[in-house]
Amino acid sequence: MATAPAPRTRDRFEELLGPGRVIDHPLERRLYARDGSIAQGECGLVVLPETTAEVVACVRLAAELGLPVVPRGSGTGLCGGAVPLDGALVMSVARMTRIVEIDPAVPCARVEPGVLNLDLSTAVRHLGLHYAPDPSSQGACSIGGNVATNAGGPHCLASGVTAQHVLGMEIVLADGEVLRLGGTAPDPPGYDLRGFVVGGEGTLGVVTEVTVRLSRTPPAVRTMLLDFPTVRAAGEAVGGIVAAGVIPAAMEMMDRLMTVAVEEFVHAGLPVDAAAILLVEVDGTPAEVAANAEVVERVAREAGARGVRAAADEAERALLWKARKSAFGAVARIAPNYYLHDCVVPRTRLVEILERIEAIAAEHDLVIMNVFHAGDGNLHPLIAFDRRDAAQVARVHAAGAAIIEACVAAGGVLSGEHGIGLEKRDFMPLTFSDVDLAAQACARDAFDPTGRMNPAKVLPVGSRCGELVLDAGALPAGTWL
Amino acid sequence: MSAALAPATPAEAAEALAGLTARGEPVDVRGGGTRSARGWPGPVAGRELLTGGLRRVVAHEPADLTLTVEAGAPVADVAALLAAAGQCWPQADARPGSTVGGVLAAAASGRSRLRDGAVRDSVLEVVLATGDGRLVTAGGRTVKGVSGFDIPRLAVGSLGTLGVIVQVTLKLWPLPPARGWFAAEGALADRVVVGEAALAGPPRPGAVILTPGRLHVELTGPPEDVRPPAGLGPSGAPPAPAGAGVVEAGVPPPAVADLARRLEAAGLPYEARMGVGTCLVAVGAAEEVGRVRAWAAELGGHAVVADAPEELRADPWGPPPPGLAIMRRLRAAFDPAGILNRRFLPWSA
Ligand SMILES: Cc1cc2nc3c(=O)[nH]c(=O)nc-3n(C[C@H](O)[C@H](O)[C@H](O)COP(=O)(O)OP(=O)(O)OC[C@H]3O[C@@H](n4cnc5c(N)ncnc54)[C@H](O)[C@@H]3O)c2cc1C
Ligand SMILES: Cc1cc2nc3c(=O)[nH]c(=O)nc-3n(C[C@H](O)[C@H](O)[C@H](O)COP(=O)(O)OP(=O)(O)OC[C@H]3O[C@@H](n4cnc5c(N)ncnc54)[C@H](O)[C@@H]3O)c2cc1C
Repeated sequence: MATAPAPRTRDRFEELLGPGRVIDHPLERRLYARDGSIAQGECGLVVLPETTAEVVACVRLAAELGLPVVPRGSGTGLCGGAVPLDGALVMSVARMTRIVEIDPAVPCARVEPGVLNLDLSTAVRHLGLHYAPDPSSQGACSIGGNVATNAGGPHCLASGVTAQHVLGMEIVLADGEVLRLGGTAPDPPGYDLRGFVVGGEGTLGVVTEVTVRLSRTPPAVRTMLLDFPTVRAAGEAVGGIVAAGVIPAAMEMMDRLMTVAVEEFVHAGLPVDAAAILLVEVDGTPAEVAANAEVVERVAREAGARGVRAAADEAERALLWKARKSAFGAVARIAPNYYLHDCVVPRTRLVEILERIEAIAAEHDLVIMNVFHAGDGNLHPLIAFDRRDAAQVARVHAAGAAIIEACVAAGGVLSGEHGIGLEKRDFMPLTFSDVDLAAQACARDAFDPTGRMNPAKVLPVGSRCGELVLDAGALPAGTWL
Repeated sequence: MSAALAPATPAEAAEALAGLTARGEPVDVRGGGTRSARGWPGPVAGRELLTGGLRRVVAHEPADLTLTVEAGAPVADVAALLAAAGQCWPQADARPGSTVGGVLAAAASGRSRLRDGAVRDSVLEVVLATGDGRLVTAGGRTVKGVSGFDIPRLAVGSLGTLGVIVQVTLKLWPLPPARGWFAAEGALADRVVVGEAALAGPPRPGAVILTPGRLHVELTGPPEDVRPPAGLGPSGAPPAPAGAGVVEAGVPPPAVADLARRLEAAGLPYEARMGVGTCLVAVGAAEEVGRVRAWAAELGGHAVVADAPEELRADPWGPPPPGLAIMRRLRAAFDPAGILNRRFLPWSA
């Protein structure tokens, strides 16, 4: 734990925010030294601003004091992105929870960053609208955190991840400047800074407001549970459905261990003797749903599916989704801790990589369960373990590294949706050259030349941009740059 | 004009740029040349880098719905290749002759953007030859992924001012089983009502477009869904608005009808995309550029000159966007000597 920050520092932030919104008690600060991952940091002061003006004031004071700033939403992140190091200032926007405006004509919503993902969808349901990205953590994670991580979710297969649903934002830069990027008018001139901030993992500034696109809830939907005798058959069905020209709204896979764990927890009538199950949802017009459901069922049966159960009503559909979304809760009953991984392989390599993960589990004498976004090849191998067993923890790390390396070797990428943060920072050279990483460092530095915004995240230590040279010669009339 | 540079490989492109930067010699990047009139009418660099030699298909994985292709590949060739596999890149209805790199550099989304999304959302990986000749790979080839900072998003729409896009991986879509255009005529207020009904669906339309006196709706999907919506009859795709110059406006989608009303009153040919907010306007005089821009600004948007003779391009971009200092640093980081496309963007010094 950090030594207590100098009281004077605390008082200065309290002058800005008032009492009760600066946390310096060691026990409380401990809570902010972690996120949903297994990373453990060292937290300095925690500030809880409620307005953009307060964020600006805090960021300016942090700049004056030379303090690094770690933006934080709900702290559900799984890559250590919100974990402070070396006593950094944690800026939690969890109190910025206003839905500022809902405009059904666009349709879009303008929200403060602390608004929870599910709360937004709930608030617009009566308009026949929803916010499409639906991470499994949607009841807890914030829109600001979703923007910073470019979060995905089961329904991002057809509708796209967060980046495709963010129209504009307000961001406070490291020097306290407030920028409004993008908006509901498409394609503003200049570089797409808005798009670049999505997925910036809090290193580019503090997002203080977000304008998100809302989606119309489709008129028809069908949710199917497919039961396979082998993982290979399930993997073949995934590729086959896509190759047949159908992109389902969602296509999620669970292996046997996971299915059993979830069934004991949720009692959704899942086939516990299946080697793998697929939860496939198609939506659209009744004609689209009928046509696509038929393709899904045919391809699944050709691949060897033993059974196809279509949800008979909304209650059954909700139950099936509850089963999928409680997977991580179910695991908590099996092992005290788990390490959830996140990487992507081309859909065509799914079966091969699942077999490799099984072998890795055996090699390291670990239990690895799988529940994941199969439709876009986004794996979430989950390693169950007990934190108190040091030898086991070492094996968990070794197995994690082996999984990442296997995914990259299969043509995959390091993360599908959880981000790089601290967790995968040092794996970046597996997919990028020094030249690539230096270019990323330059782009980051263009936003924050001081490097004080969420330092040490995303890029491996030592990735440097070098000196930015800007030719300050006379600019012709009409030029901006 | 001195000899054009025509690299045959990404490495050659990077090498050529490194040499130009070392000598401080400016260069213009040219794909299909269908949109080279966009932007600032400064002096031509006197030297062009042609991307036409970069046209190999690196990988097409039908079951992954991804295509990796060199950026000089003509959009039409890519569309033909994909159609044979029952797939498409939704931007592929670009002007004849345009290249994949040109469409991306101009962020020229196709008409089906309403349903298929903006062109920038289809880019998974980019290989960029920076102004000083580094080959930078960013993003990843899988259909989903967060892989560090999103340089592909910066490259799309940068009009060749950060680097030459030499190779890209694109996310593809299955070709819809059926598609068709439908149209109606009538008073603007009536057309807007019908257009809004089409937007609300079902079915979810590919495009809902207003042109002077007409409304056009494109539907895609199973044949049962590709039937004339109430008040519309079968038709062809609308022709692009023709004039001496083209201005591209972007306004919040609900303001499209208002913009269309003003354009019709002024007698300017236009193509306004409902639900998206983009609008192409044919203009014949510099004063018209100013009027369209003022209207767009009043409605919360902007307007740039997409293509026009010199006399219409006195001010192609209008007021600068927020974040200029960041854009300047980005430009300096990727093209430190500022050799690329000096005439296309107002940030050319
Ligand atoms: C059980 C479980 C299931 C999950 N399922 C999914 C899933 O399906 N898909 C998925 O994508 N993720 C999933 N996650 C991961 C996590 O919920 C997401 O990454 C989420 O987007 C994080 O939001 P948060 O508010 O908790 O952010 P935090 O954890 O607080 O922060 C995450 C990152 O965002 C930055 N940040 C937060 N707020 C701001 C802001 N306002 N401005 C600038 N930067 C900011 C932080 O610095 C940090 O780098 C899951 C997590 C759990 C625990
Ligand atoms: C439905 C539709 C309608 C359209 N209507 C119009 C219209 O009315 N008017 C219009 O002007 N355009 C229009 N476009 C866009 C245009 O037709 C092309 O799609 C595209 O923008 C130009 O491609 P090109 O290869 O000809 O590029 P070019 O004209 O050669 O280049 C365009 C710009 O991109 C840069 N560039 C080209 N290739 C690269 C590369 N590999 N790397 C980096 N920079 C590069 C060039 O330097 C230049 O700045 C439309 C597109 C669509 C889809």
